[in-house]
Amino acid sequence: MIEVTNLSKRFGAIVAVDDLSFSVQRGETFGLLGPNGAGKTTTISILCGLLRPDGGSVSLAGKTDPMRPEVRASLGVVPQTLALYGEISAQANLEFFGHINGLTGRQLKDRVAACLETAGLTQRHKSRVSTFSGGMKRRLNMVCSLLHDPDILLLDEPTVGVDPQSRNLIFDNIEQLKSQGRTIIYTTHYMEEAERLCDRVAIVDHGKILDLDTVENLMSKHGGPSHIEAEVEQPPANVKDLTQSLKVESLDLDGTMLRFQTPEPMQSLAALNQSGLRFRTIKVETTNLEDVFLNLTGRRLRD
Amino acid sequence: MSIIMALARKDLKVLFAEKSNLFWVFVFPGMYALFFGAVFSGAGDGPSNMRVVVVDEDGSDFSEAFVSRLRANEALAVLPRADANTPAKPIDRTDALERIRKGKVAAAVIIGEGFGEGFATWFDTSDPKLQIASDPGRQMEGAYLKGLLAQAQFETMGERFGDRDWMRGQMRSWRSEIADANDLGFAQSQVFLSFFDAMDSFLVDVNDNVYASGLDEGMLNIGNLSVSKEQTGESPQEGFQITFPQTILWGILMSVICFAVSIIKERMSGTFARVCIGPIGQSHILAGKGLACFVTSLFVVGMLFAGGKLIFKVQIGSVALFGLAATCTAVCFVGLMMLISTLGKTEESVTGAGMAIIMLMAMFGGAMLPLFVMPSWMQRISHISPVKWGIYAMEGAIWRQFSLAEMLLPCGILLAVGATFFALGVLMLRRARL
Ligand SMILES: Nc1ncnc2c1ncn2[C@@H]1O[C@H](COP(=O)(O)OP(=O)(O)OP(=O)(O)O)[C@@H](O)[C@H]1O
Ligand SMILES: [Mg+2]
Repeated sequence: MIEVTNLSKRFGAIVAVDDLSFSVQRGETFGLLGPNGAGKTTTISILCGLLRPDGGSVSLAGKTDPMRPEVRASLGVVPQTLALYGEISAQANLEFFGHINGLTGRQLKDRVAACLETAGLTQRHKSRVSTFSGGMKRRLNMVCSLLHDPDILLLDEPTVGVDPQSRNLIFDNIEQLKSQGRTIIYTTHYMEEAERLCDRVAIVDHGKILDLDTVENLMSKHGGPSHIEAEVEQPPANVKDLTQSLKVESLDLDGTMLRFQTPEPMQSLAALNQSGLRFRTIKVETTNLEDVFLNLTGRRLRD
Repeated sequence: MSIIMALARKDLKVLFAEKSNLFWVFVFPGMYALFFGAVFSGAGDGPSNMRVVVVDEDGSDFSEAFVSRLRANEALAVLPRADANTPAKPIDRTDALERIRKGKVAAAVIIGEGFGEGFATWFDTSDPKLQIASDPGRQMEGAYLKGLLAQAQFETMGERFGDRDWMRGQMRSWRSEIADANDLGFAQSQVFLSFFDAMDSFLVDVNDNVYASGLDEGMLNIGNLSVSKEQTGESPQEGFQITFPQTILWGILMSVICFAVSIIKERMSGTFARVCIGPIGQSHILAGKGLACFVTSLFVVGMLFAGGKLIFKVQIGSVALFGLAATCTAVCFVGLMMLISTLGKTEESVTGAGMAIIMLMAMFGGAMLPLFVMPSWMQRISHISPVKWGIYAMEGAIWRQFSLAEMLLPCGILLAVGATFFALGVLMLRRARL
C-alpha cells in the first residue's frame, strides 16, 4: 500500500532523512518511533507531497509522486502542529476542510456531524476553536483529517501533550480505524503507544532506520531479559535445580524473595508454579521499546 | 470553482472574526473620509460662521454693496453687526487688529480708500485696496476667506455688469489705464484690449432687455460662480469628493495588509500546509487566496461606496467607470498582497514590511494628503506609486469625467503592476515551500 524507497532529504547541513526504505501492507498499522529530530515529520511531509525529497521515491496505493494532487486523494494526514483556524468554530473548521477534500451538500453535513461526535465535540461545535483546551484541539485536529474517510492515514504524533482522557479517546478512534482496515502510519516518541497500536515498528534515529520488525521481535532481539521479582510462601528447597529448570544464569534468593532475569518471563513463571512454589506477590518488569531503543542507540528516547 | 469559493468564504470568516481587522478595513477609511473630507470641504460648507471684522475705509456705494454681499454669505459672521433697523457701528483698523490679536475674530477685511473707484484699482497689485489681516495660527481660515472675498467681489462686479452705461464708462477708463500701464506686457494688453472690443460690440448690438436677461440667465453670470469652481476647469466640487478615492484606497490597502498577514499566519500555524495536503493543485490554492482577497477588497469598496453615498452624499460621475477603477485597483493590490506575504517569516516581519511598503506607497501616491497639495517634484515621484494610479482612476470616474479611453491608462497600469506583483509573489511562495 505504501512503498518508501531510499528516501533522503537534507536541510542545508542537516540530514533529516537518510536513505530510508520501508513498505506498509494494506490494513497494517506501522509505527515510526524516534526521538526529537529523528526525521519522522520530514518523512510524513514527503509522503503527503509537502516536501520534495532529494532522493528516493514514494508510492501510495500504486501511484508515485504525492506532489500530484490526485495521488493525495486517498490520504488523510493528521499534522503534528495544531493546524486549525482558531478564529472560527469547530464546525466551520470541519466544513472547510471537508470542502477542500471534495465533500459537499448532505454528505458534508453528515460527515461533519459524525466527526464532531467522534471527537466528542458535538456540544461545543459552535464555539471558537481558540477557546478550546489543548486536548479538545488535538481531537479536532485529528478528525479534520478523517472527514473524507481516507484509506491511508498518516498520523504525526496525534497525542502529543494531551491529558489521559483525550489520549484514550484518540486511541479508541485509531483502534476503530484500524479495525476498519485502514492503512496507518503512526509516529510517536511514546513506546507504550507503539506497543499498543502498531503491528510493526521502525526505530529511527538521525533519519536512519535502526531496526524494523514486530514489537515482539524487536523486544526479544534488543530488549534484553525481563526482571522478575516473586515473593513465595516458602523458600524453595533446591535453588540449583530450580535455576536449571528455569534456564536462567543466576537466581537470587533473599529470604522468601526470589529475583532473576529471563528472556521468557511467562514460561519461567509457569515453570515456577509447576515446581510447587506458592506465590505471595509477583512483579514482572518486561522489556519494552524503551529498552530496545536504549540498547540500539545507547541513549534514552526522551532525555 | 467551488473549492476556490470555499477558500474565499473561509478567509472572509477568519478575517472578520478579528475585531481589529474590522477597524482597519472599515472604520479607519471612514475616519479618513470624515477627517480630510471636512478639511478639504470647499466653499459649499467650509468652516462655518467664521467671525470676520470689516473695516470700510472707502465708504463708497461699491464698498457698501461688497460688504452686504459678505453679510449675505452664510459662512461668515460679519462684524460690525447690522440689520434692517440698526445701522452698523463702524470699527476702525486698530480696533480690528486688536480683536484678531485677542483671538476674538479670525480675520479682518480692510477695504481701502479708492476701492469703489473702478476695477482698474483691483488689478494694481502694488497698492491693494482690499486687505486681509488674519491670525497667523489660522492660516487655513485666512486662505479660505480670500476665496470668499473673491467670490463677493465677482458677485458685486456681476451686478455692475448689468448696468450698461456704467459698463461703457468703465471700459473707457480701462482702455486708457491699460494703455498707460508700464508693467503690462504687449501680449497681455492685447488680450485685454481685444476683450474690451468684443465687449463693446456686444454692448452696441444687444438691446437693454436682452442684455439684462442674458446676464440673469447665466450667460455672463459671474456672480453665481463659486470660488472652488472658478479655480480650474476640472476640480472636485466638494471635500468628500476629493477624499472619497483615498478612502476607497485605504479600504483596499488595509484589507490587503490583513490578508498578507493572514497568509503568513496560515503558513506558520500549519493550516496552509494542511490545505496543500488536500487533493487540490497549488494553483487552485493560490488562486483561492487571491480571489478571497479580491472579493474582500471589492466587498470593502462596496461598503465604503454605500457609506459614501448614504452618509456623505458623494456624487459619483460614472458608477460603471468607478466599478472598473475599483476592480483594477483591487487586482493591483491583490498582487501586492501576494508579494508582501512572502516578505518575512513571522507575522511581525510581514506586518512590518507590508506596513512600510503600503505607507510609503500611500504617502507618495497621495492617499494621505491629496496630490494637489504636494510640491510638483513630489507629484512627479508619485507616478511610481500604484496608489496614485488607483486614486487617479477613481477620480476619473468620480469627478474628472474621464471617458472609457481615458480610463485605460491608469487601469492598464494597475492591471500590469498587479499581474507582475502576483507572479513574483507566487514564485516566492513556491520557493519558500519546497
Ligand atoms: N524546514 C526545515 N528547515 C531546516 N531544518 C529542518 C526543517 N524541517 C526539519 N528540519 C530538521 O530536520 C531534522 C528532522 O526534523 P523532523 O521534524 O523530521 O523531526 P521529528 O522526528 O519529527 O522530531 P519531533 O519528534 O521533534 O517532531 C531536525 O534536525 C530538524 O531540525
Ligand atoms: Mg515531528
